[in-house]
Amino acid sequence: MPSELLKGFRLLDLTDEKGALCGKMFADLGAEVIKVEPPEGCSTRRIPPYLEDIADADHCLYSIAYHAGKKSVTANLATEDGRAIVAALAAKSDFLVESYPLGDLDSIGLGYDALAKKNPRLIYASITPFGDTGPGKDYAWADIISWAAGGQMYLMGDEGKPPLQMSLPQAGLHAGGEAAVALMLAHYPRQIDGLGQRIVVNMQACIVWTLMNEQAMPFLHGSYLSRTGVFVGSADARRKMVYRCKDGQISTLIAGGMTFGSSTKALIEWMGENGFGSEWMRTKDWISWVPGLFMDMTEEDHKQVDDLEDAIQRFMLTMTKQDIYAQGLKRRIFLAPVATVADIAADEQLKARDFWTAVPHDTLGRTLTFPGPFAKMTATPIGSATRAPRIGEHSDEIYRGLLGFAPERLNKLRAAGSI
Amino acid sequence: MSRFALEGVHILDFAWVGVGPVTTKYFADNGADVIRIESAARPDVLRIAPPWKDAMPGINRSQFFASFNTSKKGITLDLGKPKGRELAKRMVPWADIVVESFTPKAMRNWGLDYENLRAIRPDLIMLSTCMQGQTGPNALYPGFGQLMAALSGFYYISGYGPGSCTPPYGAYTDFIAPRFSTCALLAALDYRRRTGQGQYIDMSQYEAAMQNLAPALIDYFASGRVLGPRGNASERYAPHGAYRCADEDGNERWIAIAVAGDEQWRAMLTALGAQSSDRRFATAQARIENAGSIDEFVGSLTRARTAQELTAKLQAAGVAAYPVENCVDIHQDDNLEAFGFWHWLEHKEMGPSPYEGLEHRMSRTPGTPRWAAPILGQDNDEVFREMLSLSAGEIEQLKKENVIF
Repeated sequence: MPSELLKGFRLLDLTDEKGALCGKMFADLGAEVIKVEPPEGCSTRRIPPYLEDIADADHCLYSIAYHAGKKSVTANLATEDGRAIVAALAAKSDFLVESYPLGDLDSIGLGYDALAKKNPRLIYASITPFGDTGPGKDYAWADIISWAAGGQMYLMGDEGKPPLQMSLPQAGLHAGGEAAVALMLAHYPRQIDGLGQRIVVNMQACIVWTLMNEQAMPFLHGSYLSRTGVFVGSADARRKMVYRCKDGQISTLIAGGMTFGSSTKALIEWMGENGFGSEWMRTKDWISWVPGLFMDMTEEDHKQVDDLEDAIQRFMLTMTKQDIYAQGLKRRIFLAPVATVADIAADEQLKARDFWTAVPHDTLGRTLTFPGPFAKMTATPIGSATRAPRIGEHSDEIYRGLLGFAPERLNKLRAAGSI
Repeated sequence: MSRFALEGVHILDFAWVGVGPVTTKYFADNGADVIRIESAARPDVLRIAPPWKDAMPGINRSQFFASFNTSKKGITLDLGKPKGRELAKRMVPWADIVVESFTPKAMRNWGLDYENLRAIRPDLIMLSTCMQGQTGPNALYPGFGQLMAALSGFYYISGYGPGSCTPPYGAYTDFIAPRFSTCALLAALDYRRRTGQGQYIDMSQYEAAMQNLAPALIDYFASGRVLGPRGNASERYAPHGAYRCADEDGNERWIAIAVAGDEQWRAMLTALGAQSSDRRFATAQARIENAGSIDEFVGSLTRARTAQELTAKLQAAGVAAYPVENCVDIHQDDNLEAFGFWHWLEHKEMGPSPYEGLEHRMSRTPGTPRWAAPILGQDNDEVFREMLSLSAGEIEQLKKENVIF
C-alpha cells in the first residue's frame, strides 16, 4: 500500500542516473511516480552490475533499487506524438523532474515555460552537472566528474596515489535527493497560491556540500587538506581513523575533551584489562587533554598519540569486528566496524527495527530484500514495497486511464513507434 | 506572493551537531522561523569545532557551526533545570515542527518527548533523528557522522582494493540523511494541511544513509556478492579515474576523465593529440579489461599539461573531464561562481567568511542563507520578551538562576 502522506500527487520522472533517487523518494512518500522512458528503455536500465551477472533490464540492480515503486510509460521524444503525450502528462502532474542535457527539452516544447503555460501549478526541476549559466553548463558528465568538481575526490585516497571515487558512484544520488527537497520546498507555497516554479539543481554544489567543515579552511586557517588516507585532521595534528582487526577493519578516533575524552578513557581501560597500553595512558587526564584535531600539537603530544595508536592497533588485531563493536556499545566508546554489506545484512539493530523489506519480483520469479523506509512515521508509514516496473509496463494503464486514449489510438501510436 | 517558500512555518529546534541542524537549515534558508534552543547541559560540540576565525578557537568562532546554522535565531536555556524545560514547553504552541537529535533518552528524561509535547499542541509534527533510531538494542549508540559512514558501509567501498580503506572526507552520512528528513517533514506539513493531523518521525541516520547503498545491499541479499573497494575501476568507462597533470605552484594537480565507447575514445585521443594502435585498447570491452594499462597510457598524456587546459580540450571534444578540485579551487571555480553558490556573510564575532549557498535555485521563491549563524544566546531578549512576554526583570532573574545564560 502506498503511503497516505503524498497520496493524490503525481510526479513525472524524466531523469537518468543523475536523478533516479528523486522519484524513488516520492514513491516512498506515497506520490504516484510515472517514469517516462524511450521505447528501448532509459539508460538507467543498462547500468552494471546486474543481478547474477545477467545483463538485461530486469536484472539491472540500479534500476531494481531506484525505480522501485514507480510506474513506467514509454514515449519516443523524437516523434511529434511522443512529445505531445509527455506534454499531456505534464498537464496532469504536480511535479516534474528531468536531467536531460540543458536545453534539450526546451527545444522540443517540453521545457518549463511551455509546460507551465498549460499547467501553472507545475513544479519543474532540472538536474544539471554544473548549473545553467556557467561555462560548464553543457559539459559532458559522468558521476566521477561531479565527485572531482565538488572537491571530495581530492580528499579521498592515499598520499602519492591517485584521488578516488567510491565503488558505488554517489553524485547522482545526492542530486536526486536534492531535487526531491527542492520540489517539496516549492510544494509548500504552491499549495497556498496555486503557482509552481522552475528549479535548477547543481550537482557540483551537491558534492561541495559534503565537504563539511573543510571548505572554509583556506580562508580561516590558511591551509587545506590533501588526501589523508586513514587519517583525519591536519598534516600537523593527524589522528588515525581506521585500524585493522582480525577480520577486517574498525574505525575509532582518540581525542580529548568532554565528549571524546570519556570515550578515549573507556577504550584505554578496556585495553588495560587485556594487558594492552601503558600506565601513562591510564592515568592521563583525557577529559582535559586539549589538542583538538586542528590545533598545534607538541612533540610530546605527537609521541603520545603515536604510542597510543600503536597500542590500539595491536589490541584490535586480537579481535573481530563484531567483538569490538559489541564491546564498544557496552563501554560507550566511539567506534564502528568498517562494515561490509554482509555485516549490515546481519546487523541486529536493523533486524530489531524491522528495517528490511521483502519486495516480490514476479519478473525474476523471486523476492528481493530492500533497505526499508528512510524514516518511521506514526500517522503515515512510508516506503514502497512494489518492484521496479518493466519498460513501458504502465503505458496502457496511464494512456487509457489518465489521458483517455482509445485502444485504437494506442495501437496506432505503437505502430508508429511513438510509444 | 511570499518572498520565501516557507514563510510562516515555525520550527523549534533542539537539534545539535550535523543532521538535525542541516535539516532545519533547509527550512531557515527558505524563510521559516527557526529558533534554536541551545542548552547549557549539552552545548553543541560544533561550536568548538574547527575551522575558527583566525584559527583561534572560541564558542562563537566556529565556521563549522556557522555553516550549518544560517538564517536561524538562537536562544539559550538550561534544559537540565525545571524552569528551562517549562520555558521550552511554553514555546511549543507556536511551533509547527519540533526537531531534536539527541540520543533517545535525553528528551524523554526532560519530559520533552513527543507524547508530552503533543499534549500541548495536538497537531504537532516532531522529528527525532539520531544515529540508529529511537528503538532497538543499539538505540543509545554513541557516535558521530564519520563512524556512521563506516557503520553504514561507505568506508568499505572506499579504497584502492582489498585491504585498502581510505574513507571519504568528513561525516559523509550527515550529507545524506538531512535530505530524507527534510522531505519527510515537508510532506508531513502537507499531510497536516489536508487532514489536520500531526505525527512523529523517527529517523535513524543509519537507515537513511543506506538508501545510497541500496543496489549493493539488494545484490548481497540475493546473491551473496559483497561490493568492495576497487580504486577507480569501472564496469562502464575506461579510462575512468584521476590522472596526474602538471604541478602548479608546487602543488600536484589531477584531472578526472571518464570515457565510454569508441567514439569518445577517439575524441579523447584526438583532443590530446595522441594515437594508439595498442590492441589492448582496441574495443570498449578490451579497454575496461586493461584499465591498469590504460591508466598508465592516459597518465602519460596528461602529465605535462595543466588540468584546466586539458579540461577545455577534452570537453570541447565532448569527453567528460574536470579538474580534481581542492578547497581553494572550489572558491575560484567559474561554474560555482556563475551559479552564485558562495555567500560571504557577516557574522557578529567572526566578521565576513564564506558560506555555502543552496545546491539548487528556485525561480519564484529562491532560498538563500539569510544571515550568519547566531552567536550563543543572540536572540534571547527578542524571543523571551516578545514571544513569551517575559518582563526585563523576569529575564534578569532567569539569567541569575542560570536558566538563561
